[in-house]
Amino acid sequence: MTYFPEEVVEHIFDFLGSHRDRNAVSTVCKAWYHVERFSRRNVFVGNCYAIRPERVMARFPGMKSLSVKGKPHFADYNLVPYDWGGFALPWINAAVRRCPGLEDLRLKRMVVTDDDLDLLARSFPNFRSLVLVSCEGFSTDGLAAIATYCRGLRELDLQENEVEDHGRQWLSCFHESCTSLVSLNFACLKGEVNAGVLERLVARCPNLRSLKLNRAVSVESLNEIVARAPYLVDLGTGSFAVDHHTDAYQRLMNSFSKCKSLSSLSGFWEASPHCLDAVYPVCINLTVLNMSYAPAIQADDLIKLISLCFKLQKLWVLDCIGDKGLAVVASTCKELQELRVFPSDIYGAGATSVTEEGLVAISSGCPKLNSLLYFCYQMTNAALITVAKNCPHFTRFRLCILDPWKPDPVTNQPLDEGFGAIVRSCKNLRRLSLSGLLTDQVFLYIGLYAKCLEMLSIAFAGDSDKGMVYILKGCKNLRKLEIRDCPFGDIALLNDVAKYETMRSLWMSSCDVTLGGCKALAAKMPRLNVEIINESEGSDKLEENISDLHKAEKMYVYRTVAGPRNDAPDFVWTL
Amino acid sequence: MSTTETGNSSTTESAVSGLDYEETQLTLAASGASRSELERKRGFSEGVDLSLETKDFLSGSSDEAPISGAGEPSAAKAQVVGWPPVRSFRRNVLKSCTYVKVAVDGTPYLRKVDLEAHAGYQQLLTALEEMFSCFTARNYPNERLVDPVNGTEYVPTYEDKDGDWMLIGDVPWKVRSSSNFTGNIKGFGSHVEAINKEELEGAISTIHGKHHSTENNLDVCRFMQTASLMKSSEAVDLAPRTPTGCITAR
Repeated sequence: MTYFPEEVVEHIFDFLGSHRDRNAVSTVCKAWYHVERFSRRNVFVGNCYAIRPERVMARFPGMKSLSVKGKPHFADYNLVPYDWGGFALPWINAAVRRCPGLEDLRLKRMVVTDDDLDLLARSFPNFRSLVLVSCEGFSTDGLAAIATYCRGLRELDLQENEVEDHGRQWLSCFHESCTSLVSLNFACLKGEVNAGVLERLVARCPNLRSLKLNRAVSVESLNEIVARAPYLVDLGTGSFAVDHHTDAYQRLMNSFSKCKSLSSLSGFWEASPHCLDAVYPVCINLTVLNMSYAPAIQADDLIKLISLCFKLQKLWVLDCIGDKGLAVVASTCKELQELRVFPSDIYGAGATSVTEEGLVAISSGCPKLNSLLYFCYQMTNAALITVAKNCPHFTRFRLCILDPWKPDPVTNQPLDEGFGAIVRSCKNLRRLSLSGLLTDQVFLYIGLYAKCLEMLSIAFAGDSDKGMVYILKGCKNLRKLEIRDCPFGDIALLNDVAKYETMRSLWMSSCDVTLGGCKALAAKMPRLNVEIINESEGSDKLEENISDLHKAEKMYVYRTVAGPRNDAPDFVWTL
Repeated sequence: MSTTETGNSSTTESAVSGLDYEETQLTLAASGASRSELERKRGFSEGVDLSLETKDFLSGSSDEAPISGAGEPSAAKAQVVGWPPVRSFRRNVLKSCTYVKVAVDGTPYLRKVDLEAHAGYQQLLTALEEMFSCFTARNYPNERLVDPVNGTEYVPTYEDKDGDWMLIGDVPWKVRSSSNFTGNIKGFGSHVEAINKEELEGAISTIHGKHHSTENNLDVCRFMQTASLMKSSEAVDLAPRTPTGCITAR
């Protein structure tokens, strides 16, 4: 193949979809490295501190699309302090200097300021798509800048960000000549937008296919919008607070019946029982349904709705659907691939929720299921074994039993056997989250069988260091390991230090690793950043007299070629 | 390893035994408050001072038959940081939820009502009537829901954050828009005192506020945790309402 001209090799590389494949071919020989780096358009950086932005842009001068992730995953659950890091600015700055042709930017768990957004908006004339997921630090002023300066913007997708509301004018900043929008998602914004401005924007964007409204958008407005955009494929309904006795409701139902292309629905923030009838006309075509933000919808209404959704592939619901509701899903949704059942009552002991019965029903009714996130109050080994037998195709299996250390209620045993059955049966399992009462045995099973596992989340589990060692030894493809409240200490941590260079990151909090252990790790592995997050008061600096025996409350280890980061706040110590 | 109390909160009768009389008295204040605050739990005409002390959050009661007269607080659930693993965004959405579970005494019905959706007791009662459509409301001064089959009267009651069962109608109704209100326990008290009693329609105060970082403010949002249509014969033990100023919708 080295005899082919570069253009041919490049053309062949075009068929390589994934980053991993492109990374792999670029290590074959210098020629291929050369061809690959100039032809790569989509660049993915899984940890913003693993490499300096300038180096990325120097290697891939033809970059058009950049995706960067910042904070560790457990930041989603408030385990990482607010100003830990993950700043977008260095990446935007580097792109301004070296990749002015940038078209798409996707940031996840990063700190983005209004100034950053302003710089972004003004610097890239071909900019088409901005996707921000679980980011923070910006307000609607930043969005106004994007709307104002990104002429030709096709996508603005804001997913679950913390956005400060500085008024409702940002939407008006889309110029009258802006007609290019394909996807607009502002569902996470708290404030109001001008209804007229929104409706006119929708009306002048003929390519708009995905629109997700926030809670403040009224049903009247939704009606206008749906009437003007009957070609929508993906709709977030906004408030949906409507009385089913009114004319407005009738009009809404009429509008929905004209939406022949609608295949994805979400929102329903303030929907009440009985008002879901309006969407029945579109159920037959739905492939994606997200009712997980609609706490007032009872199981009966969900059941009536879902029993029409024969083509459903992805379903997100609250646990008030109950086992009965899940049985209906199992008998109706034969195409189901992904199911997420969220807790509706996190602060109390909800009586109406789902149990192992619901999960078993789903597993036997939905043969294509490959992705699960399931919050429940109890689970049995027998159920997990059945699920493993019914669904060998799981790639993502995340089970959260809400009470830590809860055993199988029938046998009072740990759930080792149940999870063991899952990893034995699901040979393509890439992501796993454990919960309930678990001993070292479950980690033995995972190390033995979960050969494709890439991400493992552990909480309140295990008996000793052996557990963690089983994982590190057995899971050859492990990339991300996150552990909280487990009895794993220095022996486990230091068992195989070279392993961490084959992984993206390791998080351990409320475990038994000590400061001394972390220092030892840092000393042995210079290409790892070993960071300790110390939140106790009065200790801003790494004191000489803090004993090495002191436990490291939160430790984050990641491989990097960029050395220790220079933007770490005082409470983060890089060892 | 951090510890957590994870026991479910079931307010069963067995837990009531062993408490002395004083502790089982209905009080609006936290258990440690003085007796003089008991008087203040009467109708708003005297100006209700709900100077609730912040307290550990009370987990929701079970959905079985309500406890009549038991004032013993539900077990407080120690909250483990970052558990359950639910994103902040989603937590906030659930927190600002003003839905209340409503059950009918002695039946397996359980529905949810959005307090925010109703402007006053009349509307709430109408909504409840719609939900539990086997009952009809009688329109006379002491309005109650009646089971047409056996004539049993039902009065709406609710369990406040102390675990006390109160007749709906004792506390002023005031629905706040979430964009204005930044509620906390002290704010709750002062809002109630500031209300002109002529404006008041009924007696439940509802507060829903924006997300706050402390668990105490969460208490306020979940002030009205569970409501129940209690048989009026059983409701006899509850604190009597003052008829003045209260709308007849209970």
